[in-house]
Amino acid sequence: MATLVFLEHHGDELQKGALGVLAKAASLGDAAAVIAGPGARALAGEAGKFGAVKVWVCEDEDVAQPVPQPRVDVLAQVIDDGGYDTVLFANSVLAADVAAGLAARLDAGLNWDLTDIELRDGELVGKRPALQDSIYADVGWTSTPRLALFRAGSFDATPTGGGEPEIADVSPSYAAHSGSVKLVGQDAEESSGPSIEDADVIVAGGRGLGAPENFTLAEELAKALGGAVGATRAVVDAGWYPYSAQIGQTGKTVSPKLYVALGISGAIQHKVGMQSSGTIVAINKDPNAPIFEFSDLGVVGDVHEVVPKLTELVRARST
Amino acid sequence: MSRASNFPPPFSPRDYVAEPTDPADERIEVGVLIVGAGPAGLACAIRLGQLLEEHPDVAERLGDVPVAVLEKGKQPGSHLLSGAVVNPRALHRLFGDRLRIDDLPSFGPVPGESVYVLTRRAALPIPPPPPMRNHGNWIFSLSQLGRFLGERAEEGGAMILPETSAQKLLVSHGRVLGVRTGDKGRGREGGELGNFEAGSDLVAKVTVLAEGTQGHLTGVALDRFGLRGEDPQVWELGVKEVWKVAKPLDRIIHTMGWPLRPGRKYREFGGSFIYPMGKDMVTIGLVVGLDYRDASLSVHDLLQELKTHPKIRKILAGGERVEWGAKTIPSGGFHSLPRRLHAPGLLLCGDGAGMVNIPRLKGVHYAIESGRLAAEAAFRALQRGETPASALSSYDDAVRASFIWDDLYEVRNMRQVFGRGFFVGGALASAMTMSKGRVELGKMPAEPDADQPLLVTDRDKSYPAPDGALTFDKLSSVFASGNKTRDDQPNHIRLERRVPRDVAQLWAHMCPAQVYEVGPEEGDGTVKVDVAPSNCVQCGAITAKGGRLTPPEGGSGPEYTLT
Repeated sequence: MATLVFLEHHGDELQKGALGVLAKAASLGDAAAVIAGPGARALAGEAGKFGAVKVWVCEDEDVAQPVPQPRVDVLAQVIDDGGYDTVLFANSVLAADVAAGLAARLDAGLNWDLTDIELRDGELVGKRPALQDSIYADVGWTSTPRLALFRAGSFDATPTGGGEPEIADVSPSYAAHSGSVKLVGQDAEESSGPSIEDADVIVAGGRGLGAPENFTLAEELAKALGGAVGATRAVVDAGWYPYSAQIGQTGKTVSPKLYVALGISGAIQHKVGMQSSGTIVAINKDPNAPIFEFSDLGVVGDVHEVVPKLTELVRARST
Repeated sequence: MSRASNFPPPFSPRDYVAEPTDPADERIEVGVLIVGAGPAGLACAIRLGQLLEEHPDVAERLGDVPVAVLEKGKQPGSHLLSGAVVNPRALHRLFGDRLRIDDLPSFGPVPGESVYVLTRRAALPIPPPPPMRNHGNWIFSLSQLGRFLGERAEEGGAMILPETSAQKLLVSHGRVLGVRTGDKGRGREGGELGNFEAGSDLVAKVTVLAEGTQGHLTGVALDRFGLRGEDPQVWELGVKEVWKVAKPLDRIIHTMGWPLRPGRKYREFGGSFIYPMGKDMVTIGLVVGLDYRDASLSVHDLLQELKTHPKIRKILAGGERVEWGAKTIPSGGFHSLPRRLHAPGLLLCGDGAGMVNIPRLKGVHYAIESGRLAAEAAFRALQRGETPASALSSYDDAVRASFIWDDLYEVRNMRQVFGRGFFVGGALASAMTMSKGRVELGKMPAEPDADQPLLVTDRDKSYPAPDGALTFDKLSSVFASGNKTRDDQPNHIRLERRVPRDVAQLWAHMCPAQVYEVGPEEGDGTVKVDVAPSNCVQCGAITAKGGRLTPPEGGSGPEYTLT
């Protein structure tokens, strides 16, 4: 098996999700990575730490902007040059487009929304949640190259202790239509701290906070813990917090190491978006709230009393 | 004492009637456009496929797409929910010798039946009243049947367009030209998101509205063409669950009485059904007339309460709930049927037109039969190569000559008598049925469901607390419906947001999907109604009780598979 992992980067940072996929790929055998865009070369060493034995870099003007089509050209070329039979992606808006474009270009099979992958008697088998995540389906490929897109947070981005990778340049001939999409503008959402998809710690607030201004409780605690703030659909619906922070069935799926739920009842629609979190701590004044059934630590109490004290203790500990 | 109808929604049918706006060369032209891939619409598409196969010359004239079916759900069946014990008569007539009933995805013929009058602890068996006898009928999952009929329709050449809502009725010079489909990819405030996709004008020689209960464009068309019947339409709300069970149920069961209250002032008319679905599944549902008065009544919670009855608990013991859903049923019957079932370029079928026989708890076979008759009427007009204003009137004649009309006439006053209280009503209803409708009680007054003056009792205090095993809250039920509607789309529910507390309570309790919540006091004796539209499973109860459901973005709503 010759595996290639698509690494997405923004600025001088590789996406954690993609590094997680790389580390997983390295555990199954030799893995190579491809980085396309400005500053790609400088990041190759970082990819080595997560298990890439070879890193293909492309810093062409054509891939300067985060648009998918030129990256399909790059990947097609790398697959051709390197003879890869397996290409893995970590889900993101860009990666999903690239994966789909590549599948069409190569007439290859793409298994998407996978949460794990393994070698079983030499065969590559993907795990894909189905029926509202109640079961895992085993999925495979009938032809090569095999493409797979993994759900956010499927693997921890743990360095594998790999050394300096071999670096190879790639500069494909770009298809005529690849240049037809132009980036007209890019806006970054104002936010302090990590995004909820990448954060190791998430403090999420629900309607039990009582009022929009009480979200400062969540923000303060998140700041003290170095984490991000999440929200339930009910509070996003009520306009207390932006949609980008919504966690759950119709929002984002997260799996931080620590998930602190403030005033969240734990409806199943929320649960499916955070149930794979490492440690779940719930603070809620209703002892019958369903969230206590799947939290590791439950505090029955008023968030307005418990949270400020907790924040204070965390701050005291970290100074 | 408030009435929900005093707080009408900001909704005007006129906003949903439009001239085509796409340039002529961008309109999508089809022969017959059917709105709704349910039993009526798909029967219509199947019959058209049969007729066009026999008459290729007519098919030729209808262009590349002779028959198109719009479906707002993810696929045919996604939004279908019914009992369903089906009288197979209309299926036989639709398929003739092309298919045997054994070829359909059913759970077999009704194996036997019982009817009970329930009290909180006891169940008194009574002989099944004549209208409730089901010998010879078959048990189906309507959702499964819908998927099957969808496949048959596509085999017959129909093009099914799923995840597409019919938003506006295209009318020009008094003639229906088709529909405009809904936009996709709008944000909460209506702005265009990155994936915005504008709707299209779909124009057709004949448009068949087979939208089912509370059909959006059916309501618009009834107003636009002055077709509303002698009586206002009224509805019942059904909530049902599908269970995997440890031991098979050997008969179908209907219950009356508890947990509904018999007192006349409550106007609680309804009952439950419990049907086996093969050896390892059972469906249980509760249906309650929406002319009830108590603002604290919740059909969902009454169903949860019903399951705690010793008799029913036993049936479900060791089982697991696998699906949940809710839907309204038009129950006005004969007097609420539209004055005409056609308008220029337009035909109305099935539940959308109110073709439901409430005493017999049947409607699927009327939907199928009316769809078949609509296909034949549309075909006759198309065969002649013209569709003048009166060309479709043969459909009305055909429906009047069919068993649909006879059956509904026979029970024409049945529903209204229950307004007199359950026991008196029950006796009158029996008399009517046994005499085949010859007992003439005079026509009884009928009023819209939203006109009922509200009571507020503490009925909600005695609903069982959800235990997640036998009884469930509304949100986990919405989850079990498969609903994962995109949250950041415009609100599709038209509703007066500032109302007296009892009206807000009525909506909050009534809605089985927890779309409405009683919000903060507004200081002038009213409260704000909070709305969570993405919970909506499009049952239609809100339209009956003083709001107006419009179709959300195509592909939204539940994804029923077993209901």
